[in-house]
Amino acid sequence: MKSGREGKRLFSRREVVGTVWGVSLVALFGQFSGALFEYLKPRIPAGGFGSKVTAGLAKEFKPGTVSYVQSGRFYISCLPDGGLLALWQRCTHLGCTVPWVKAKKLFMCPCHSSVFNPEGVVVSGPAPRPLDLFPIQIIGGEVIVDTSQPISRDKFDISQVTRV
Amino acid sequence: MSVQTRSRWAPLTESRVWRSFFRHGPPNNPLDRSLVMTSNIFLHLHPVKVNRKSLKWSYSFGLGVISAILFGTLVFTGVLLMFYYVPSVERAYPALLNIQVSVPLGQFTRNMHRWSAHLMVLAVILHMVRVFYTGGYKPPREFNWLVGVGLLLLTLGASFTGYLLPWDQLSYWAITVGTNIAGYVPLVGAATKSLLLGGPEVGQDALIRFYTLHIAVLPVLMMLAVSIHLWRVRKDGGLAINDSNDAGDKVGEDAIGN
Amino acid sequence: MATPNQPTVTDETFPKQTNKTYALVELMHGEGPMVGKGPDGTVFSFPVVLLIEIILVLGVTLAVFLFSLVKNAPLEAIANPLVTTDPAKAPWYFVGLQELLEHMHPTVAGVLIPTCLVIFLVLLPYIDRSRAHVGVWFSTPRGKRIVVWTALYTVIATAAYVLLDNQFSLREMLRDVVPVWVAQGLVPALIIAIIVVLPALVLRLRKATTRELMIALFTIMLFSALIFTLSGFFLRGPGFKMYLPWQMPNGYNPLDGL
Ligand code: HEM
Ligand code: FES
Repeated sequence: MKSGREGKRLFSRREVVGTVWGVSLVALFGQFSGALFEYLKPRIPAGGFGSKVTAGLAKEFKPGTVSYVQSGRFYISCLPDGGLLALWQRCTHLGCTVPWVKAKKLFMCPCHSSVFNPEGVVVSGPAPRPLDLFPIQIIGGEVIVDTSQPISRDKFDISQVTRV
Repeated sequence: MSVQTRSRWAPLTESRVWRSFFRHGPPNNPLDRSLVMTSNIFLHLHPVKVNRKSLKWSYSFGLGVISAILFGTLVFTGVLLMFYYVPSVERAYPALLNIQVSVPLGQFTRNMHRWSAHLMVLAVILHMVRVFYTGGYKPPREFNWLVGVGLLLLTLGASFTGYLLPWDQLSYWAITVGTNIAGYVPLVGAATKSLLLGGPEVGQDALIRFYTLHIAVLPVLMMLAVSIHLWRVRKDGGLAINDSNDAGDKVGEDAIGN
Repeated sequence: MATPNQPTVTDETFPKQTNKTYALVELMHGEGPMVGKGPDGTVFSFPVVLLIEIILVLGVTLAVFLFSLVKNAPLEAIANPLVTTDPAKAPWYFVGLQELLEHMHPTVAGVLIPTCLVIFLVLLPYIDRSRAHVGVWFSTPRGKRIVVWTALYTVIATAAYVLLDNQFSLREMLRDVVPVWVAQGLVPALIIAIIVVLPALVLRLRKATTRELMIALFTIMLFSALIFTLSGFFLRGPGFKMYLPWQMPNGYNPLDGL
């Protein structure tokens, strides 16, 4: 056995070649995984799924009411003082569509029973944050909502409200 | 034996063609009974001899075999459904209505696929429960337990991806909620979710991804894993059985399972 | 074998070995006295195992077949992203998870707990390596008692948690008192951890073996999953609110969404 001679070297030839093979295979596999990931990664077009949606004339929204804008998948909530919020209909818990229950003046999610008030704030249920907002602009008396960028928030504050 | 009268099938079973297919004689003696098992690619997943105790119904309840049978049923009915199903947001739901209403036995085929899927999840879970309580995961069967855990996850994955395909309200919201859970995984959640859905929400991209996973990727992985699983059962000496009763009898697992 | 003319056994083929105390005397055809009752209690797989498998194939397919004749697979209205069905339930094998989501933050219920379960299953065979009592249901009579008691304990503890948390929701009592991650993350996670760890501690004090500890943990996993699934499946109605199964409003029947 040549082990005596080999013992003096730090690495035997076999170890070096074996390691090189191993490392190459790992690198090849890594490269393959990276390529696979890039291949499968969705190319989501900039601007998300939505565009600018005209919700209607500002004066149509009466204080203390909530109106549904189906084309933009959001609610215009007109607060008692007349300020406007555009609330995305998507539950912040796990993404169900939250209906407005007029009789109770609350948004009530059917999936895990989260309840939101007209400001979108969680009243009860497992949702971790208030309903997401879309930015509102009022141009020539019309309410224009930009649905491309939902804004998530931790709590309601007055700066989120748009006034005419 | 050779004195016996020739079987009436002898002209067939002793023909050149038959003997080129099957390399064993009639399995009425130990040698040929072994050869039946070892010379057939499908049967050779079995051991040649099995322990009596492992055949006891109240020991394994046949749950692993039942899972495998249900997997077979699912592949068969699934391929039949594929002849009519179209993985498109516009056409998936109409295709299902078509299968149910105008394809002969279509509704029945769909029922078989659906109920087999539910039953398979149940069978696989119960199989795991039985393997656990009988200590079947202990050495030398650790690896096969891991393959089993993989199979459990694959089975759940196949059920989950299949659930979206009818594109009805039940599918849509179950998958919306399910994939949103993935979004809560720390760090990689958002990436995992969009990788699964192929977009920001459940839509055409999600449907085609789930379809591909459901009809190609997951079944192929499952077939591979089931083959490894069954082969390993044999290599690990058949089912784990209690050999402490045969005191002094040093018949190990190795003796049985080759 | 089927070949009638046997080769003559000569000394050429089997030369005598003087240093051996045994020798091959003759190739026997026909049955020896040990056939069918091998010393190790084994039997030939052919045809017993194949017969059992064929019976299982027939039985399982017949069961699914009959069920498919009686009950149709559900198909609701076409998917509509604008309206969520009420209630929107996951398939039964995920409904336990959905029930869990009702009680705690999605990161805990949907990510942390499932990950812990998978890690537990993966590590299990490497933690519990003793080979005693392999192949015996519950290992020992003591093991069986542990299963019965932990099952009972788990059913009571998790059912109490589900019902109490539904009645006096911790989440709502702690709302705006402590941050969300404490009220919905830390507190319920601690409760679950205590439910799981308590029996383990009791067993440790009683000098349980690793296997017994694992039996307890697995039983807790199994029966808590059972309770969460039953509650999510039978007790949750419209709005995922809790009702008695026979008092569901709007004519909702929990069995419809299988
Ligand atoms: C697609 C799903 C599965 C199929 C088709 C399958 C099939 C089988 C079959 C046919 C057997 C022979 C014994 C019996 O019938 O009980 C077996 C044994 C075994 N299975 Fe599975 N199995 C599956 C999933 C699992 C899972 C989820 C686990 C555990 C996590 C598992 C762990 C094992 C182990 C450790 C054995 C050896 C048991 C012993 O020796 O007692 N299998 N499996
Ligand atoms: S998705 Fe709305 S409460 Fe869960």
